[in-house]
Amino acid sequence: METNSSFYSKNKAYILTLGGLGVVGFIFVQYMMIFDWAYLLGFTLDMLTGGGVDGIITPSTSTYELMVNTAFGQNYEAIAPEIIRASNERQEFIWWVFVAEIAIFCIMYTIYGRKTATITNPNDQVQVFSLFHRGVIWLNVLIIIALIITGFNITWALRSGGGELPYLLRGTHEITGLIWLPFWLLLSIIAFKDAKILSNNSVLKKIILPGKYKPMKRIIYIVFVMMGAGLLTSGIIIWFLHPDAFTHGQFIQFKRLLLYTHFGASVLIMFFLMDFVYSVLVSVKGNLKGLITGKYPREHLEQLAPDILYDIENGKGK
Amino acid sequence: MSKPDFARMKFYCDENLCIDCNGCVVACKEAHEVPVGVNRRKVVTVNEGVVGKEISLSMACMHCADAPCQQVCPTDCFYIRADGIVLHDKDVCIGCGYCLYACPFGAPQFPQDGAFGTKGKMDKCTMCAGGPEETNSHEEFHKYGQNRISEGKVPMCASMCSTKALLVGDADEVALIKTYRAATKGKGIATEPMGW
Repeated sequence: METNSSFYSKNKAYILTLGGLGVVGFIFVQYMMIFDWAYLLGFTLDMLTGGGVDGIITPSTSTYELMVNTAFGQNYEAIAPEIIRASNERQEFIWWVFVAEIAIFCIMYTIYGRKTATITNPNDQVQVFSLFHRGVIWLNVLIIIALIITGFNITWALRSGGGELPYLLRGTHEITGLIWLPFWLLLSIIAFKDAKILSNNSVLKKIILPGKYKPMKRIIYIVFVMMGAGLLTSGIIIWFLHPDAFTHGQFIQFKRLLLYTHFGASVLIMFFLMDFVYSVLVSVKGNLKGLITGKYPREHLEQLAPDILYDIENGKGK
Repeated sequence: MSKPDFARMKFYCDENLCIDCNGCVVACKEAHEVPVGVNRRKVVTVNEGVVGKEISLSMACMHCADAPCQQVCPTDCFYIRADGIVLHDKDVCIGCGYCLYACPFGAPQFPQDGAFGTKGKMDKCTMCAGGPEETNSHEEFHKYGQNRISEGKVPMCASMCSTKALLVGDADEVALIKTYRAATKGKGIATEPMGW
């Protein structure tokens, strides 16, 4: 019993995050999606096992079916109508996900307030972020803000009725996404640089950050890395996989699948990035200055971020 | 409101007559000065090389009555004329590609003429009916190509079809031709085309 309790308390953040995402995911899949999940899973498995990207997972049984598969790709009904629904409903609906998250933060702020460290010796500073690290962080911030603004180009277009500005935003989103690739990679390496993959045989430790990071921070890092990878991979393939009139049937189902990956990953990464901004900058006073100067008062770290101080003093930080 | 004396403008391609010559594709591209990389019309061949089973179909925008592209477009750039031709306004299009995801036929085409190959504005078959610009103006030709329908002409692809496999017009009339062809199949000049 004690072991179970200990396991729960040690992994509370992971269990609650997975549980919360599971509930939201179940409601989303069960009540808000209309496409054929069996086909979607079958298609994904078929693709991963070398079955090709055309979406044809069952052989044609008639000339007519063969003709349809060759020209248009298989099972249009499985995914495409969901796109139709997504464009007109989700774009309007998606705002409310973030409004709900902000409302939760407001409630938490009201209940828990803002943490402030008591600083008696402001001159005792600890270097937390190097100039390079800060550069990567701030460029990431700028690029992600640009990606969020331009990524909503279709939502802007819904309201403006199209035109040159959303057209420009849409094109900018693609190029900005490509610019983000090296910065995402650098931040991912920074997040995982202490993983000691080569010297540690534990499989779990290969994927979970070492050190004394709080579980919620680990989750945010993992989501950032995984969803970033999903966003960049799907985004770049969507951009460059350009089915023309003659290859449409071979690639369009794959592109439809990637569009979902892109939308899903963008919602998840935004959700956790907002969580990060709240937990690091809003609910704690004094963190923003350190992100600019790179230094924090030792007392600030002792009181509010002992995990970071522990890692720096043990040579695992920065 | 009086009952219209026509159905809807439709394409029909007879798979028994199409010989995959791609004349329609070339005629379309030449007539509308369609840029390289964009094909408003394509010829799809099934069972290629299999004797007796190979068929070809010339395809473009099907000008659907319940057009998925129109339903998904976030900017409502599509409009359907009274005669059923589905057209779009390039000044409103933002090139998001939703119409491509929704179209079962792969009709919407996107030139990769932006910076670093980013997509341009959507281009598709207009059934030679131009766009929302002034009819037969330079702007209309530049954006959408010729407006042959306004001149009472058959779209270029069908007019150039050497075997008359590709038909276009009022769906009632097209259906009559198809019925006639089916009834007279194998008789007189209505024989199978010679394949190359």
